[in-house]
Amino acid sequence: MFMKNNSDITNLGDLLGDIEPGKIVLLYGPPKVGKSIFCYQFLYSGLKGGEPCLYIAADYGLRQLEQRMMEFNWFLQPYIQSGEVYIIDILTRLAGVKIGDSNAVKFSSVQNLADLMVKVGVGTRSLFRKSSKFRAVLDSLTMIFAFNPPNLVLRLMKAYKNRVSEANGIGLVVHTTGTVEPQFETSLMELADFKICFDGKSIQVESSAGKKSAQYTITDEGIKCWGIE
Amino acid sequence: MIVRISSGIPGLDKLIGGGGGSLAENTVTLIYGPPKVGKSIFSYQFAYEGLVNDEPCLYVSTDYGLKDLERNVANFGWKVEEYVGSENFYLIDAISTISGVEVSSTLNYFPSSVYNPTDIMVKLGVAIRQIKSKSPRFRSVLDSLTTLMAFNDELLVVRVLTIYIMRIKESGGTAIVTYTEGSADSKVENMLKAIVDNIIHLDGENLTVEAMVGSGKLKAHYNITSSGIVVD
Amino acid sequence: MKRTYIPKLDDILGGGIVDNASVMFSAVPGVDCEAFGYQMLYGRLKEGDKGFIFTNVAEPETITYEFNSYGWDLEKFLESGDAFFVDGSSPFMGLPSTARYSVDDYSKIEEIVLEAISDVPGGIGVINNLSTLIDYLGEDETINIIKKWNLYSRRYNTNLIYLFTKWDYTPSLVQNLKKIMDCVVEIRTIEERVIIGQGFMVAHSSWSKPSKTMVLFFVVQPGGVKVYIPKILVTGPYNAGKSTFVKKISKRAVSVDRKALSAFPTTIALDIGHLEYKGFIADVFGTPGQERFDLLLDVLGRESVGAFIIVDSTAPQTFARAKEMIRKTRAEAIPKVLVANKQDLPGALSPEEIREKMKLGEEVPIIPAIVTEGKGVTDALDALLGLLYGD
Repeated sequence: MFMKNNSDITNLGDLLGDIEPGKIVLLYGPPKVGKSIFCYQFLYSGLKGGEPCLYIAADYGLRQLEQRMMEFNWFLQPYIQSGEVYIIDILTRLAGVKIGDSNAVKFSSVQNLADLMVKVGVGTRSLFRKSSKFRAVLDSLTMIFAFNPPNLVLRLMKAYKNRVSEANGIGLVVHTTGTVEPQFETSLMELADFKICFDGKSIQVESSAGKKSAQYTITDEGIKCWGIE
Repeated sequence: MIVRISSGIPGLDKLIGGGGGSLAENTVTLIYGPPKVGKSIFSYQFAYEGLVNDEPCLYVSTDYGLKDLERNVANFGWKVEEYVGSENFYLIDAISTISGVEVSSTLNYFPSSVYNPTDIMVKLGVAIRQIKSKSPRFRSVLDSLTTLMAFNDELLVVRVLTIYIMRIKESGGTAIVTYTEGSADSKVENMLKAIVDNIIHLDGENLTVEAMVGSGKLKAHYNITSSGIVVD
Repeated sequence: MKRTYIPKLDDILGGGIVDNASVMFSAVPGVDCEAFGYQMLYGRLKEGDKGFIFTNVAEPETITYEFNSYGWDLEKFLESGDAFFVDGSSPFMGLPSTARYSVDDYSKIEEIVLEAISDVPGGIGVINNLSTLIDYLGEDETINIIKKWNLYSRRYNTNLIYLFTKWDYTPSLVQNLKKIMDCVVEIRTIEERVIIGQGFMVAHSSWSKPSKTMVLFFVVQPGGVKVYIPKILVTGPYNAGKSTFVKKISKRAVSVDRKALSAFPTTIALDIGHLEYKGFIADVFGTPGQERFDLLLDVLGRESVGAFIIVDSTAPQTFARAKEMIRKTRAEAIPKVLVANKQDLPGALSPEEIREKMKLGEEVPIIPAIVTEGKGVTDALDALLGLLYGD
């Protein structure tokens, strides 16, 4: 998943191992622990490794995504041009900006989940045709929960999971803990095949293969971890 | 590279950015903590720093109306004319009308109401349009979220905040929003922390940078002096 | 009867929808159903009817922008007052609304929409969308409200068009919804790991017995909902029985000669037919068998979704040519059925023998046929449909 070779200075590859395609990974933790940075890293390492990616920007718009990634020297534009990344931006329209869709960037609305799924359908088809292995990122559920009834958000998650796993993609979904009633968080946990928890100091990984953990920090080159056990 | 703007708080810029500004441009910072720790003072200083450098400021005030703002600012020895009456200071006063005071709007002064976040958003739109035609960058303050949540559904305020943030960023602004710790439901408080880019906590003694784009956690002691907040 | 302005839908419904009917478009997540509601509304507005859109998923401005991208000018009807919004989206976000009705408080939804219905007698109202209502108000509450809305709209002769995304609701809820609607159109996906196509089908209608045809469609901007008619290729060596086959499977078949295809310098005879079988609609193109027309094979093959290859079972010397044509029409990449024709003639090889001689993989069904007598034709059609739809 992360390049497990000598050039992988992050060690994330060792911690996470290889995640089978068709699985949903839930990345959760309190606010501001580096979950979005993990998403940028997951996106970028996939693109570098030839795995196209569907990216749903739900907490920020495309422009901010590009800016934040640039701080780590990860440049998104070339991949947007080549169509290897398919971005669905559901917040920028809230700013009152009227932008049209382009081939690799679509705009939807945080409160129109049916429209979001339509674009996810088109995106998965486009990426599936490019590569048998692709990634999908949804960062994050926070605004989606603020703008929609929580039950509907869970329904979206089930449909999203079906769509991504059917197309053999690896789907990463980010959730900020403590923002919704416990029963909804429980349901989210149940939907996930693979769980990653960030708590500010350590990463806990849980899957059918067992549990692992490591210490982590955010560097100029992204998230690095050590002390894997 | 991250462009940082000066916060107007002596000592803070050195703490975060090594002297070259602290708050990342085009971001939104949450200033929170218990009551009476200097959150509003932080806001005045932040606005003032921009105004003396000819940067417009869009100030949304829910606790202090025009008269109170003038008084508070004067108490710290800052020139009131830099604020009120300055072409660059745009005030959305969401409190004065509540007490029945008759106020009329001018080019830069927009009376509104804490009971009506929709109206605040309308005035915000008007103000941003005017500012954009003058300047590619500006500052904004929303003081405070707590008062808005006292008068409206908390999740509605979260949604309004989201739109405020998107609009400010889209127009080139850098904003701070204030919030009294523990004043809303904990789930809402967590959402607030997730929605903003940076978080600074004040507790009366220490200022903690809990999150800041491109920077790690930092902590320092601060005082409220006769000329505002000073960080050691 | 009122037109739906959705291609093919009026035919299937026996002319259109009854004046006061409630219609629900039920789409699985991933398929666009907004376009259907908007297209119906726009058609009626142009006809002179009044209409409204209740929205809880997008602000009126965004919807007007959507209409523009379809090439539909909603603004002029908004200005004249013939069209208006019931805005359940802006107030929810603390945004100002200039709509005629604005839902500040979800408990008032029922009465506000009732008022809107009374504003458009003989007209149309689009509810976008029902799923969000259900998850806000609860299933029972929503069903009660819908019943009241439908009763009211019947009185005013207004059509209510409900857009519903079929998330993982309980089957009983979906059943209950269907029961209280006069007409239900289901919108589905055709999937092969990913969505490769979409189709709509009338599940029931209270005024007609609709055929169970699934109409494939796509949504274009500009344009809206368009019917997608796939092409089926009928190819094979000279004299294998292609023309006869095309005529047998088509409702109407035409032989087109060089007069119609003046772009091509050589003489061409092309068989074109239109097929409607078990709800599947397609255009059929029978290719010429002579080698000099092979250029055409490439063009036709590119847009086909399936192919019939007709061979003369008594002429194994033509099998190599058959394989060549499969290759040239790119029929290798699409689902195909081999029709082993002329089974009645002496010396006809059996399907197994043909498979061996042609070295054809098991994934290609070989159907024995006597096309002139119509024998084996439906078997061949069933075989191809089975490959296309995987049932």
